Amino acid sequence: MHALLTIARAEWRLHLRRRGFWLLLGLFAALVVAAGALNRTRQVRERAQQLAFQQLVRAQWEGQPDRHPHRVSHYGTFAFKPPGPLAVFDPGVDSFSGRVQYLEAHRQNAANFPAAGELSSAFRLGELSLAFLLQTVLPLVVIVLGCRTFVDERESGRFRLLAGQGVSARALALGKLGGLVAATAPFLALGLGAAGVASLADPAFRADSEAWTRLGVIGASFGLYAVAWLGLTIWVSGQARTAARACAGLVALWLAAVVIVPRVAAVVADARHPLPDKSSFAAAVAAETKAHGDAHDPNDPHFARFRADTLARYGVKRVEDLPVNYGGLLMAKGEELSAQTFARHFAALGDKMQAQSAVLDRAAVVAPFLAVRALSATAAGTDLRAQLRFQREAEAYRFDFVQRLNALHRDAVRFENDRDQKLAADHWKGFPDFRADPLPLREALAGTGLAWSALALWAALPLAALARRKRWAA
Amino acid sequence: MSAFLRLLGWEVRHLGRDGQAWLVCGALLAAAVLAIGVGDRRLARHRTEIAGLPAHYAAQMASVAKEFTPRGEAGYVAYYTFFPTHHPMPPLAGLSVGVRDIVPNVTWVRLLGIEGQLYEADLGNPALQALGTFDLAFVFCALAPLGLLVLVHDALTRERESGRFPLLAAQGSSLGALLAARVGVRALTVALTCTIAFGLACAWLRVPPAADALGWLAGVWAQLAAWAGLAALIAVVTRTPAASLAVALTVWIVQGVLLPALLNLGLASALPVSEGLELTVRQRQESHAAWDKPRAETMGKFFVHNPDWSGTPPVTGRFAWKWYYAMHQVADESVAAESAAYVRNLRRRQDVTALLAWLVPPAYAQLLLNQRAGTDLDSHLAYLDRVRAFHAELRAYFYPLCFADATLAPADYAAFPQFRGVAAPPPSGLSIWPLLLLTLGTSALTAFTLRRSAAT
Repeated sequence: MHALLTIARAEWRLHLRRRGFWLLLGLFAALVVAAGALNRTRQVRERAQQLAFQQLVRAQWEGQPDRHPHRVSHYGTFAFKPPGPLAVFDPGVDSFSGRVQYLEAHRQNAANFPAAGELSSAFRLGELSLAFLLQTVLPLVVIVLGCRTFVDERESGRFRLLAGQGVSARALALGKLGGLVAATAPFLALGLGAAGVASLADPAFRADSEAWTRLGVIGASFGLYAVAWLGLTIWVSGQARTAARACAGLVALWLAAVVIVPRVAAVVADARHPLPDKSSFAAAVAAETKAHGDAHDPNDPHFARFRADTLARYGVKRVEDLPVNYGGLLMAKGEELSAQTFARHFAALGDKMQAQSAVLDRAAVVAPFLAVRALSATAAGTDLRAQLRFQREAEAYRFDFVQRLNALHRDAVRFENDRDQKLAADHWKGFPDFRADPLPLREALAGTGLAWSALALWAALPLAALARRKRWAA
Repeated sequence: MSAFLRLLGWEVRHLGRDGQAWLVCGALLAAAVLAIGVGDRRLARHRTEIAGLPAHYAAQMASVAKEFTPRGEAGYVAYYTFFPTHHPMPPLAGLSVGVRDIVPNVTWVRLLGIEGQLYEADLGNPALQALGTFDLAFVFCALAPLGLLVLVHDALTRERESGRFPLLAAQGSSLGALLAARVGVRALTVALTCTIAFGLACAWLRVPPAADALGWLAGVWAQLAAWAGLAALIAVVTRTPAASLAVALTVWIVQGVLLPALLNLGLASALPVSEGLELTVRQRQESHAAWDKPRAETMGKFFVHNPDWSGTPPVTGRFAWKWYYAMHQVADESVAAESAAYVRNLRRRQDVTALLAWLVPPAYAQLLLNQRAGTDLDSHLAYLDRVRAFHAELRAYFYPLCFADATLAPADYAAFPQFRGVAAPPPSGLSIWPLLLLTLGTSALTAFTLRRSAAT
């Protein structure tokens, strides 16, 4: 044990004495500052802008004059996607998903204006963020710092010396690992610290009661990820014959795990679970909505039954004799049916996307990059599920406000000359605002077992191999 | 000269025996085959979607016809009729997908205000999109340069290690010849591999061997030339094979991964675009506000830009289709400035990216290849312009009917205007000369360094 600590301390001091170490740390710090500051500036601006639009849309809503309630439901409103609590750290899918959804009667619209649709095509090469630095660059740092560790000892012949002194191969391996862990720790700390600092001023972060737990989960996942690369680096360095080979082999591993496998996994996911094209999707929704009949058409056969049932329920002969406005009842029924159709189709679409993501999760067993990516976005509240949840909640809000308006239509508008009537403007003021809280962390993490297992596996395997090592080929 | 040719011949033979070279080229070809397969699927799916549009349209018209039998008001029929527009992918789009898997390639529009209909997102999965694409452009811009660096980086350090370097340096000019032959042969090998992959892609995806395909290939070559220049420089400035490899990998990671990512973030932060949301919110407000205003006021605004209709009789009563569509057009006109600013800002982002990308060859090459394949943002904006033009055609067709309070029988639907898909406009703008300039610059620097190191 004593030998192990001595070796670890010696290894750590060795790193600190190298000019390359400080250069690397300086560069990494510069990138961290750039990523943190630029993302924060952008988030703050977009937040402010979104808030301004939200307030404008609310003011427009309340500023509506006397209107027929159905007119108001066609006027509609907008739902803005609330930012994830740690979006400053990990933008996740946010750049590629719609930020705003127009909500109106009879239709469920898609979320529009994804940022990626507003950027040059070079955007596909990636976007700098703190999460990106820790996912992509940190492994390289580990490789650069650690790939020579063993080879140097062997090439300089010092290994024989140590073996002669009775130092076990295991103590040497774990000691080296300890030194490398200590040398890598400042990099990880920089990234996570910057996440904390950049997020502190973010209202989305401060408003979230679980924000620090989220950061903790992110820290844990990146800790495991770093350990996986640390162990792998030491192990490869122990196997390779020259430093150049160790370095080349590790970079090849990095290339496969970070650059190639994720993209190929995306291709496979898309091939295994293809999404419908937009036209077919819209046509399927339209066909099913049509089958329900048209609530706007007084002679529609499907709604004739609804009319008969309604008349029977109230015990009257004609719709004119109903105590409420039949028009409002009819609209509410139509909205209910179409909303069920939307919910079913969008849920099926969401399930397909989730199935695609499940393919990525399985690929994480080969490429831990995918595992840490999934966990980081999940904890940051910027993953696919957060996006789907926003769309679901926006739709629920749409259905609710349209049905409130239909209730007003039913109760406050008379049946005769229905369309010529208007309700007083202060009716609109009581409508609640759209609100969407982030998915509670416990729920968000429910489906991440595979990702954690993949990370744990990758962290444990090289460590186990190192700990079991009895002797080193000199 | 014959000495140089002998050197070249020796290099070629040597390369043939080099297992690493076979491995690099084989891996590149394998990646290329996968990428072409992906591109083929993408094109096939895109074509299926477009081929399905007439059937969707026909089904829609059948249900409209059922609703408006025997005749229906023209304005009402138009209200329920969505017209498909599409942005056909040229075969080259199978080679570099650009933004085409993010932006919609099909947009359905109707006679209502156009500005509210243009910016709907496609159905893609953002979690997959965020991982990046695996297309031939990725293989050529990211993997091929890496292969090239692996083959070239130790062109001289290998000689240093084996102790032959002082001997070669003493011969003066032969050092430059050796480097030129070695880098040339190896870079050409990678370029040849890419060209074979490109040929395969053309055969597989049926890319016509026209000027634009060759222009695309020229972009790939220019980019590889720039990398060859960089690789030669790395070979000269480093002293040991391990150092050359480290520098080469660092340069590749900085150029291919870090700088593009930093560039994207910097641009998104420095050049914000908010007009899209602004015009959407404004357009909705304007188009609904007209319901609460006197009909004549809206018609008056409409006549300002559409004087041909100004002599028509005033709107009487609660509702008239001509007023309804006039109100939508007035709303469109009220956001014309925002709409133009939106497009202008998006174009400016493109231009600034292209300018800054001069310093980042992989990003520049990616932009260039996407532009030449008709898959960049510009080509999407051009498509949106065509949708706008088609919408104007719809207005020109339906306004006379609405202003005459005409009715339509299902048989009349066949005469409705239809969007004609036009191929992407010929590529323009980005040229390969910044890449060639970079090649020249690094070559000159290499020669200079070599002369100095030979002298010392």
